[in-house]
Order: sequence, then C-alpha cells, then structure tokens
Amino acid sequence: MISPVKLWRNQKKIAELVGKTGVVISFTVIRVPPADFTDQAPYPVALVQLDRGERITAQMVDWEEKHLVIGTPVITIVRRVMSPSTDGVIPYGIKVKPLEK
Amino acid sequence: MTTNSEISLPGMKVSIIGASTTTFGELWDVSPRALAREVVIGAMKDAGIMPQDIGALFVGNMLSGMLGSQEHLGAFFAEELGFHGAAAFKIEGACASGSLALHNAVNAIISGQYETVAVLGVEKMTDHRPEDVATALMGAGSSQERAAGCTFPGLYAILARVHMQEYGTTREDLAAVAVKNHFHASLNPHSQFKKPITMEAVLRSHAVADPLTLLDCSPISDGAAALVLTSDKRQATRDKKPISIIASCVSTDSLGLAQRDSLTELKATKDAATRAYKIAALSVKDIDLIELHDCFTIAELLALEDLGVTKKGDAAGLLRRGAFTLGRAPHVVVNPSGGLKGCGHPIGATGVKQVVEIVEQLRGAAGARQVSGARVGLAHNVGGTGATAVVHILAR
Repeated sequence: MISPVKLWRNQKKIAELVGKTGVVISFTVIRVPPADFTDQAPYPVALVQLDRGERITAQMVDWEEKHLVIGTPVITIVRRVMSPSTDGVIPYGIKVKPLEK
Repeated sequence: MTTNSEISLPGMKVSIIGASTTTFGELWDVSPRALAREVVIGAMKDAGIMPQDIGALFVGNMLSGMLGSQEHLGAFFAEELGFHGAAAFKIEGACASGSLALHNAVNAIISGQYETVAVLGVEKMTDHRPEDVATALMGAGSSQERAAGCTFPGLYAILARVHMQEYGTTREDLAAVAVKNHFHASLNPHSQFKKPITMEAVLRSHAVADPLTLLDCSPISDGAAALVLTSDKRQATRDKKPISIIASCVSTDSLGLAQRDSLTELKATKDAATRAYKIAALSVKDIDLIELHDCFTIAELLALEDLGVTKKGDAAGLLRRGAFTLGRAPHVVVNPSGGLKGCGHPIGATGVKQVVEIVEQLRGAAGARQVSGARVGLAHNVGGTGATAVVHILAR
C-alpha cells in the first residue's frame, strides 16, 4: 500500500515544513485509529496555525495532558508516520511537539 | 458560478415518481446486488414503470473499490437490474455520493437526452473490519489529514472544539442532537436504531475522538435507496400526484480543514443552500422539513446554522428546547427519518435515502413520523468535512 515513489516525491514537502513554530487552534484525541496507526493510539491530532501563515493538521507527540489546550505553542519535527509496510518501506512525515516544558 | 444553474431553472421540470429504501443496519446476510434489487424494483413498482422504460442509471457509492474490490458499478448494476443497454454511471463524492448521483440524474433529464432515469445509492460497510472502514473513509480527506492519523470523527471533533470555544457550545448541546434523532429513528421502520436514548447514555458512551463519544457518531451501516425520475412531459400522462425537484445545487470547498478560512461554518453548505433558495424562489422559512447531514452531532448544529435555519451559535439552544422535534409545529422538523445518526449511514445510500424520506413525507405517507401538512422539504448532504455539499429542494 505504501508507494516508495510517492514517499520519495513528497520528501521535498517535508523538508520545507520542518522546524516551523506555531500554536494549536483546535485538537482532538484519536482513540479509535485507522488501521496503520493502531500501535500509537491514543494520540492527539492538532490543527496548527504556523507563525509563517499557513495552517497544518498534524499528530502531536511528546505530549502531556497539560498540552491539550488551544493556544499551546508547538514546533514541527520529522517522525515515522505509521507502521512500516511488509516490504520494509518506513514512511516519515511531519508531526508537532509542544515547545515549552 | 451561478449562471448555469439559473439558466436551467425554467427547464427544471423534473418529477420523482418512484421512491424506495431498504432498512438500514448490519445486514450480513444481504449482498449489494440484493440491496439494489430490493430498492430499484421497489421504486419502479412505485412509479408503475418497467425496466425497459429506464434510459439511464446513476449509482451513488463511495467504497465498493476500496473495500469490496468491485468498480464499474454502472454496468454492474445495469446488468443486475435488467437495464440492458442503458447508460449507467457510478458517481463518487464521499458521503455526498448519493445526492451527487441525483444531481447528475436531474441534469440528464433537463438535457433532454433521457426521459426517465433511475438513481441508486448503495453501500456495504459491515463486511469489513472497522479500522479498514476508517482508513477507507479517510480517502475523502486530504493527504495531510491521513498522514496525521486522523479519522472522520477526529476531523469533526476538531470542528466541534472550535464551535465550543467560539459559541460556548457544550457536550450536552451535542448530545441533544443524538437524543432527538434517535427518538425520530424509533418511529421509522427503516432505521438502524429503534430505541430512544438518553442524554446520560450519550455522555457516558466511550470516547472515540475527544470531545465526541460513540453516540455522537453515525454508525457503520449497510443499505440502499432508489428513486425514479421523469420529465414533466412524461409525467403529464400519469394520474398520481408527482413530487417536483425545484432545486438541485452542488458546491465544493478545500478537501482539508487546514485550508479553510472559517472553522465555524461549512462554506459549501452555505453556497449550495443560498443558490438553491434562489432557484426555488423561496426562503428557509418556507421549508416544512429538512433531512440534513448529521454524520456527527456537531454536524447538525453546523448545518442548521449554515442552511440559515438559525443564526450562528443559536442552533443548540433552540434544538434543546425541542424546536426541531416532531410535533412541535410551526417549527421546521429536522431529520424526521432519524438522520444519519439514528437511521444509519450507508455512505452512498444516504443522500438518496434523505430524498426518499422527503418524498414519503410530502406524500403524507410517513406514518408515525409524519410531519403534518408538509409541502416543501430540503435535503442536505455533505462529502468529507464539507469539501462537497449538495442541497435539493422538493415540493408537492
């Protein structure tokens, strides 16, 4: 299901988005995940307003309960997106983590 | 943007002469073919026509390829239904597939190429694992939303939290939508859920995507619904009173939530509704009943506001006072079928079923859930989180 060609083509987008700061404008906690994300649940997904202008939807990592509020400052980082496919392709992508401790 | 729809208005003489729906639910012993046969034969019988009268078939479906490995549904169902040689199409627009099929059927008649056509909405979901269904449904979202591991409950939960922040909407406000729609569903012999539920039950049901719980979410369902449409020229030879489609409007927006200007409205709903009222030459106050897209409880509040039934932020208060519940005339009745929430949500079937419900209501044939004196009904169907919105207005 994971196409190495698609992953390769999307690398440029990932590099472009990494290390950007922003704030959480809304979020949820996914407790019933899609098939390739079952080992990570429960996890927050946030809608983030980046300081440079655009908005992104991204999974939040390295979080604690206190970070689950609108207004939490975050930064974009590179992480493994989902479980690797059986042919060994590991998809990486953009996630966000809270900025303050 | 509106030019074509407006030009089509004087020619928009399309009648619904047949309507049928299966009971929605977990139908493990029924195949998609059997579901389709039941409703299309039912709708043709209702219309008093034969398979050879059907010039074209429009099939609304989302997941047959991703879940069932069967595409080419136009020819697939044309063969199954005995429409030999008829034109046949699969129309896909996520959860709006059914009403998009209807929109295309309406246009096919207006074009003059076809006189009588059939619309079939069908989906088979419970044959598959819930996580596979969740993954397949995310095909309706953006690639960024998929990479975030988000789900449709998750995306609507994000919208719910913004609405709570902006308008003070509460968990109880959301739960009230589920309570109302399950009550309506308990009066509908075709619904998936036959029992009313309490607000406590909604609040206590397990968390799916905070702040939404299981009973905030429409179920995974199997089902089908069908309509037979004809041009007025043909209708003139019949004695039965027809139901007219007086507006059929589609609007689109960004696939992903992150690209929207506003998170407290679905712009596509507002656009489609505004055009539909204009084409039908009426206002929201003229509508007696609405079947709207309550895939999640928050979606009903958003739709009530975006369709102009209430001002932004006012829907929850009115709904909790019972304004949209059956038997509370003179208010508009919202989701008398039980909606997606209570009646069930077989994706491709939903948009067609909404219109079947309105036809039954306008004929005065809706039994225990009849909206008394209903003359004008509106159907509102959404694809994704509002990337597609379709509004139909029907009148008798």
